Amino acid sequence: MPQLICSGGSGMINTMYQLDTLDSAKAFLAALLIGVAFGFFLERAGFGSSRKLTGVFYFRDMAVIKVMFTAVITAALGLTCCVVLGIVSIEGVYLMPTVYGAYIVGGLIFGVGFVMGGWCPGTAAAGVASGKIDALIFLAGAIIGSALFNEMFGLIKPLYESGQRGVVFIYDTLGISKGTFNVLLSIAAVVMFWGCEWIEKRKTSQSLGDNTTILKTVSVAILSIAIVLVAVGSGLPSSPQIGATAGVISSESQLLEAVEMAEDHIEPEELAERMLRQEPGLIVVDIRPVVEYLDYHLPNALNIQMKDLHHALVPYKNSGTIVLYSNGMTHPVQARDSLFRSGYTNAYILTDGLNGFIERCLTPISLRDEILPKETADKIRAWRAFFLGLAAPQEKPDIPDVPLSDGLLVNAEWLERQLESADTKILDLRVQPEYNTSHIRNSLSLNVENLRINLDGVGSMLQPADMLARHFSGMGIRPTDMVVIVYGDKTQDATLVGIALERLGHTAYRILNGGFAAWKSANKVVVSELPEIVSSSYPVTGTDNFSVDYRTVLEYVKSRKGIILDVRPSDYYSGSKSDEARAGHIPGAINRPYTEDLVIVNNVPWFKPAKELSGVYSQIIPSKDSTVIIHCRTGHQASQTYFVLKRLLGYSNILWYDAGWSEWAAKKELPIE
Amino acid sequence: MEKHNTTKNRYMNPYLAGIGLGLTLLISFLVLGAGLGASSGLARLAACMELCVAKTHTLSSQYFGKWGQNPMQYYLVFMLAGTFLGGLCSALLANRTKLQIERGKQSSIRLRSVLALIGGILVGFASRLAQGCTSGQALSGTALLLTGSFVFLVCIFVGGYATAYLFRRQWND
Repeated sequence: MPQLICSGGSGMINTMYQLDTLDSAKAFLAALLIGVAFGFFLERAGFGSSRKLTGVFYFRDMAVIKVMFTAVITAALGLTCCVVLGIVSIEGVYLMPTVYGAYIVGGLIFGVGFVMGGWCPGTAAAGVASGKIDALIFLAGAIIGSALFNEMFGLIKPLYESGQRGVVFIYDTLGISKGTFNVLLSIAAVVMFWGCEWIEKRKTSQSLGDNTTILKTVSVAILSIAIVLVAVGSGLPSSPQIGATAGVISSESQLLEAVEMAEDHIEPEELAERMLRQEPGLIVVDIRPVVEYLDYHLPNALNIQMKDLHHALVPYKNSGTIVLYSNGMTHPVQARDSLFRSGYTNAYILTDGLNGFIERCLTPISLRDEILPKETADKIRAWRAFFLGLAAPQEKPDIPDVPLSDGLLVNAEWLERQLESADTKILDLRVQPEYNTSHIRNSLSLNVENLRINLDGVGSMLQPADMLARHFSGMGIRPTDMVVIVYGDKTQDATLVGIALERLGHTAYRILNGGFAAWKSANKVVVSELPEIVSSSYPVTGTDNFSVDYRTVLEYVKSRKGIILDVRPSDYYSGSKSDEARAGHIPGAINRPYTEDLVIVNNVPWFKPAKELSGVYSQIIPSKDSTVIIHCRTGHQASQTYFVLKRLLGYSNILWYDAGWSEWAAKKELPIE
Repeated sequence: MEKHNTTKNRYMNPYLAGIGLGLTLLISFLVLGAGLGASSGLARLAACMELCVAKTHTLSSQYFGKWGQNPMQYYLVFMLAGTFLGGLCSALLANRTKLQIERGKQSSIRLRSVLALIGGILVGFASRLAQGCTSGQALSGTALLLTGSFVFLVCIFVGGYATAYLFRRQWND
């Protein structure tokens, strides 16, 4: 095993977790060998006996505490040494997130199960090896317990996720430095060891004998290594006085470190200004858990989890500016360093994190101690309006100010002027009885579901061109017509019809922004007579080069050349919610929920002004000709983002993955995150 | 007194065993980039068994479903197998392999078996809830100085000490 480590070379080791090769045969072999050593020492220590293990709970035999804490201290100090010596970086190791609720309840139940059953999973494996039938029974129970958890997962999920804090270090929680914590932990361990010996001595009236020599050596070694680490961490030569001043020196060194790293930071005020003017190429990434992101995030920030960063940020590597933030600084620093080592020179962290941003930029002027110059006060007001959505009251119109036509989006005035033209065909997508009772004169009723079909086993696929042509022929639509789409309560209905037209090569269409509600609120004429239709014969000449299948998507996943935009709601993207065979998302996909492009007025969605959307997407997509694959679950919501990017904003390489997550999740051989 | 000493000496000195365990954990951090784990292997085994019984149900379940059709292809499954093998090596070397249900002399096989089974169910369940067991959280997580792992460790001892009295009879001699 040591050879394996040294083969990493003189520099930094890249762990298998870092290289993403934990699923390789090499990793399986390494895990097996590490397991052998693990099982060997467990059995050596006497943990192949449930009686010895449970002894700790009856103060009979304190070996559990002695072995466990020696192991923890050895590994903790060893790892700190390796990090200090530059052998490995801490982000090369998988760090479990802290989930307070789940861990507290889990720990309590585990404790009861432990003392009741006499085993824990690892020791039971060693127990079975030494012929303990009760260990085998215990393991069978643990398998049943795991299956039970799976079956009850829906019920337990709120608890499983309660109190999520992301990766948190105990020294940060306690507000002390890592070095100080190591020293305190070592002192606590040594005290505990001697306490255990004392307890056992009283219980068994047995002399400490040989144990003391080893214990004394171990105690001295632990304490001195911990103290030396503090000294080394402070960058000062070790001296006998170091122990006493450890805390002070350590925070001094942290300060120096922070100063030294300042060039990787971006100050909150600077970020606020750059975001406010919607600087193109500025990518703001929120690396907190989804729940916290949903709670509040900086406008247009992408939510990417730490483990997905390397994947998801590839399109932005060394073009534009990437700013990482979390609540505090620990994780963004880790993430930035990790990205830097992978060759990113454009990743920055937000000084003081989101907490600092809120405090420095968004604290109301009335709550600030100092008196601010007018210029600064104005800035803070503008930031608060932008980041907290606190627009001044007079700037809140009931209905978005839609220009006569905003690209392919039109308003009621525009449509009214077109009514008399024989070349205008209006499609009303509302359901019955709304359409029959009142609609725009000569508009045709269309249910978008009638344009979808099951193809190759995947449901809700847009029909092939010939079927669509027959459908539109029946409605009397001709290739020369201007089609105006009027939606009810779903913008994506309109864009799906738009995509159906595009499949036939028909790009002469417009969408009434605000749908039928916009027509009504503009007090335009409605009728209840049904139109007379002369059916046409729409030719099939469509050149559909915008919908792609999973093979194409997989190529992009592998080559990482384009951007995969997952427009489903964030909780589906993260996998915390799922309606499909598997939960999660396509590796490397970026989440931009389609709803973010809308503004809801009286329960009706409107497209946001193209100018505003343009600013947002210029921060997500590097250039107008970048390849972007858009998908959702069934292609419906994705059609909206397709429309926004391709037709409103003029991006040229927009691909639509119709089958979407329904198909991807069902094909078990496809990778997910 | 002398006899007591010899039985005790059969096991390795706990501090040396602890150092051995700690170095194993350190190697795991450096090579795998992840700590030790045991309960994950068991959960994968559970998923595998459930797949055999009810395939579509398991694949569509929220927790096991995400592991796909081959849940056993996971490094911690191999680590669990290794743990068994390592335990076997050590037990054979020390001549400690004896088929038995370990219990107090006055305790019945039935009591001990029932408690081991229920204890196992609780531990299996709790390990999934807390995303790890004594190996993955209490040992590896605390060595990484993670807050959640310390919380978990403290709660294990709280739960254990609070109920130890109820289960003492299985060890009565």
